[in-house]
Amino acid sequence: MTEGLHQDRAGCGLKALRSLLPVLVILALIALVPLFSPSNRFLSLAISAGINVIALYGLSVLFGQTGILSMGHAALVGVGAYAAAILARDFGVGFWAALPAAALASAAFAMIVGIPSLRVGGHHFVIMTFAFGQLLAIVLTNGGDYTGAATGLDLAGPVTLFGADMSDLTRYYLMVVAFVTTAAVASWAIINSSYGRTLRAIRENEKLAASLGINVGRHKIGAFVVSGIFAGISGVLLAYFLGHISPSQFSSFPSIYLALMVMIGGARLIEGPLAGGILVAFLPEVLNLDPVQSRIVYGVCLIAVIMLLPDGLIGGVVRALRAALSGKPKPETQQRNATPSEARR
Amino acid sequence: MDIFIQQILNGLSIASVITLIAIGVTLIFGLTGIINFAHGEFLMIGGIVTWLAVSAGLGFPLAVVLAILAVGLMGYILERGLFRFTLERPTNGFIVSLGLIVVLQHVVVLFWNPNQKSIPRPLTTVWEVGGVRIASVRVMVIAITIAVVALSFRMITASRYGRALRASVEDRDTAALMGIPVRRYITGVFVLGSALAGLGGALLIALFPITPFTGGTMVMKGFAVALIGGLGNIYGAVAAGLILGIVEGFSAGYGFSQWTDAYSFALMILVLIVRPHGLFGGTSGPRMAS
Repeated sequence: MTEGLHQDRAGCGLKALRSLLPVLVILALIALVPLFSPSNRFLSLAISAGINVIALYGLSVLFGQTGILSMGHAALVGVGAYAAAILARDFGVGFWAALPAAALASAAFAMIVGIPSLRVGGHHFVIMTFAFGQLLAIVLTNGGDYTGAATGLDLAGPVTLFGADMSDLTRYYLMVVAFVTTAAVASWAIINSSYGRTLRAIRENEKLAASLGINVGRHKIGAFVVSGIFAGISGVLLAYFLGHISPSQFSSFPSIYLALMVMIGGARLIEGPLAGGILVAFLPEVLNLDPVQSRIVYGVCLIAVIMLLPDGLIGGVVRALRAALSGKPKPETQQRNATPSEARR
Repeated sequence: MDIFIQQILNGLSIASVITLIAIGVTLIFGLTGIINFAHGEFLMIGGIVTWLAVSAGLGFPLAVVLAILAVGLMGYILERGLFRFTLERPTNGFIVSLGLIVVLQHVVVLFWNPNQKSIPRPLTTVWEVGGVRIASVRVMVIAITIAVVALSFRMITASRYGRALRASVEDRDTAALMGIPVRRYITGVFVLGSALAGLGGALLIALFPITPFTGGTMVMKGFAVALIGGLGNIYGAVAAGLILGIVEGFSAGYGFSQWTDAYSFALMILVLIVRPHGLFGGTSGPRMAS
């Protein structure tokens, strides 16, 4: 095995870089799409997909590396989006200043949710994050004029970069691609750092990690906070792209869809979130499904992926390719390594 | 005072439905460690089956039986077809249940549109007792729930099957070594839990209109109740259901109705912070052979 599955050993420079390369090439190709004058509909879809992918990279650090599953990721995106909208309305803060502020807000929210939730451990965490997601939606709905209640908030600020207006779809698309690239590189840097190795140690065996002197609790909360930073940035991009946000976009069901995307793509590989986000966004277009049918297809995909390809689609394809190329059956140990949730006992 | 009693009654009738979910949730978790979020969709399907049966001209009692049978059968099929393969990795079982939520909801939307569905109230009598208006349909829901819960208790505490079940919840491996067919009990618990959810759905639609998305909120409340009572602990689930029912009833009666949904979550978070194993103590899932 080379890169991908055995990231643990990929710490040393060149090998690690090689795992980033495919993603960079794909993103470079994606950045060239506007040359073929795509339709506005295509660009909007691609922008939404890209915004999701940024959040998914955060989720992949949490789930793929640390082995914690959050059902409140959309809530963290929502905190970012609302932070951007409220800052713009009350303080006239623009897009670029809102980015760090929203990332900070989401990270802080993640910490507030994470400390009690992770304290209760294991299976309860999933339910706690779900409950916090629902609570946030209820609070936003009952927040009166401050949060715009059920109708939500409008956000009509222009996005400018070096004096150029970025609101144009093609420009916004390129900007989102740049953000996705940053998110991919950041998540790659985390995976290949000693921090990433610590997180994986926690994923594989919490007690063993603790016995090595790793502060498991603090690192889990840390990973949750990191996922919050990604989510916050994705929230700002979403708020400025849509120009209108409402509580229902960030309740627990959107969170389920985010979890679904990251798992369909594969949470552990750097290609996973990209593949998951793009696939889920474009599948209905390609297969010409209406929203209801496409949701059924997502659900079936998720179940099939979990039952048959625990690495996610990309992981499965990579494994199948390798098996076909080398022509020898997989030994049991690799199979075990490749299964998510191994660490969850 | 009359408003007070009425609100408590309202709260209790909803709490009945939630308790029916919570028992299934808590039993399935206790035995398999699977957090089955799709349980709320089982409830929703139970409601839809009742609606279909009543719309087809069947009486309500028959519709309830149909709902129980249909959802029980669905639980059996899903356990045999899907959850059986996730027993070694409960997290995968949880993820499968997420997929099921999406699939079940939208299959219902696909065939019977996303609008609200309601049936005429099976009992329309309203008793006036000392100025308190008591809707008989709510009393019926509470009575049926009490009967069913009492029956389940009796089964679990007094019969040898119940004892075997409790032993399996306590320690799956040792129970298996004692000759208890644990796998079959797991299937049984899935069917029982699903059947209770089916009944819950039938009772819910007798009280309120439901939509294909009703399951999501209900299952969260079911989990809140199960967690507050202690996962795996049926007594705890029933007691916590009562508490939640009374809290929700009060809040609706005294003008905080827009926050009703928040109480269960807030209560749950609070309880978990103070007592991570719930008010009445529960299991932290089956010990897995590693």
